[in-house]
Amino acid sequence: MSAISLGGGVSWVHECFPETDGHIHVSVYLVEAPEGAILMDSGSFHHRQRLSDRISDATAGRGIGAIVLSHSDYPHSGNIPAFRRDWGDFEIVASCGDADLQGLPYARRTKIGDVTDVLGRRFVVLDPPLADRNHTTWVYDETSRILFVADGFGTLHAPGACDIDWGRIPEDGRAEGVHEFHAQTLPWLRYADPNRVMDALHAMLERHPPAWIAPIHGPPIAEADVDRYMADLSDALTRIAAS
Amino acid sequence: MTVATGRGWRRDVWPGIHWIQECGGHRAGIARSVLESGADWYRPGNELYVPQNAYLLTGERTLLWDTLSPASGHILLPALEELLEGRPLDYLALSHPDVPHAGNTMQVLRRYPDCRLVAPATGETHALYHLDDAMKVGPEDEIDLGGLRVRFPEATFLDAAIHTWMSEETTRTLFTVDWMGFPHQSGESLRRTDEIDTVVDVGRLEEFHSRVMFWFQYVVPEKVTAATDALAVQFAGYGLAPAHGLPIPGADAAPYYERMNQVVRRVAASGRGGVL
Ligand SMILES: [Fe+2]
Ligand SMILES: [Fe+2]
Ligand SMILES: [Zn+2]
Ligand SMILES: [Zn+2]
Repeated sequence: MSAISLGGGVSWVHECFPETDGHIHVSVYLVEAPEGAILMDSGSFHHRQRLSDRISDATAGRGIGAIVLSHSDYPHSGNIPAFRRDWGDFEIVASCGDADLQGLPYARRTKIGDVTDVLGRRFVVLDPPLADRNHTTWVYDETSRILFVADGFGTLHAPGACDIDWGRIPEDGRAEGVHEFHAQTLPWLRYADPNRVMDALHAMLERHPPAWIAPIHGPPIAEADVDRYMADLSDALTRIAAS
Repeated sequence: MTVATGRGWRRDVWPGIHWIQECGGHRAGIARSVLESGADWYRPGNELYVPQNAYLLTGERTLLWDTLSPASGHILLPALEELLEGRPLDYLALSHPDVPHAGNTMQVLRRYPDCRLVAPATGETHALYHLDDAMKVGPEDEIDLGGLRVRFPEATFLDAAIHTWMSEETTRTLFTVDWMGFPHQSGESLRRTDEIDTVVDVGRLEEFHSRVMFWFQYVVPEKVTAATDALAVQFAGYGLAPAHGLPIPGADAAPYYERMNQVVRRVAASGRGGVL
């Protein structure tokens, strides 16, 4: 299977990794921009060959012309050197306080608040309320209205539910997948005030209403399902804060 | 005392604990914000650094704690070579697989092929960080280095799941990774806090934590301060060896916990300071 289209020239190239209690997605997204294909994050070295094959397929062999990197964490950045060997020294647009320290000396740096042009497409660079590394950014693609959220909005899924969007995951266990993901991935949530996090997320969604929310570690969430995801997330944050 | 050469920077910070520091470039943005805050510890015109620290522990066996960023293999490897004086490196322990901490892991393991890689036991995705074959350690574990003994207490303040702190029990030193960091300036590199003329006050700690611990803006401050107070009791008298600041002797450490409580209250009230 190649990539799953979300419309607006964006497709989901899903990969996942088995954990004890379920699968975690470690995906990437492809964006067809006027001047070439943009890859959102680079995926894990663990899936390198498959990702490379699937991206070649999806781009009719042309490969990618740029990567927009959410943060330097290895499962997001691990394929950058290999993909540059495959497809040339294309542009890396990265959020990173200090590019050298993050091992990305060749990157073009983006900052929170920027509106940046990548291969002819405009992205708004946002301050993520849910992240692990402090230099993480989310981006909103104005053309497709898709919000790319890196380590935010994740959900663990059952084996076999690897290629369906969030709204089609069986309801039985879905909220638990949201809880499990956050409990294990963002350890600082144990100190968080759920209301403060949820308020920041609601404000962002109001400002940048997404046709899809596109996480790396979960299935994409369609506009019609966002309210249900937010309700599950709010419950998950409350449970984590109480534990 | 301090030994600095053109090939690397290091010194004994406490008996058996050697320090290898990567200062990185001048942080102009942070320097501006420090000046605007009216802080009196920073002299305008000085370079301002937010460092990365690695520590080499040498008992009868040797252990390296973290590896600096990928920009500094040329600092780390020659420094290791000189500090080890021909002895093998027995363990490389990673606090967490974050690029500025783990950036030279492969280089170190290639140079010292018999070295045992040690990684935090917490987390579920070790294979995504090439850590599946590492020796996994947690709060129950101790490595006896012969003369030095290291333990791996839970990381109280952390960014991602695969993460541990470390303590050394004979010198009573706590390695706090991303917590208790702060910037320093020209002339202060490779010095402990008792060897510099300037103060490490709440504002100086805030410059670091309001960026790195951006999530302090979303917390219930009392939850964080309760955890900090518990650390102050558990590690009373321990010196602190952060990854992004200068080491703090045990005799001076107590007031730092209260300063961190003030930092948390401030960031929770006024938001993150930016990005590092
Ligand atoms: Fe991450
Ligand atoms: Fe760090
Ligand atoms: Zn991630
Ligand atoms: Zn799966």
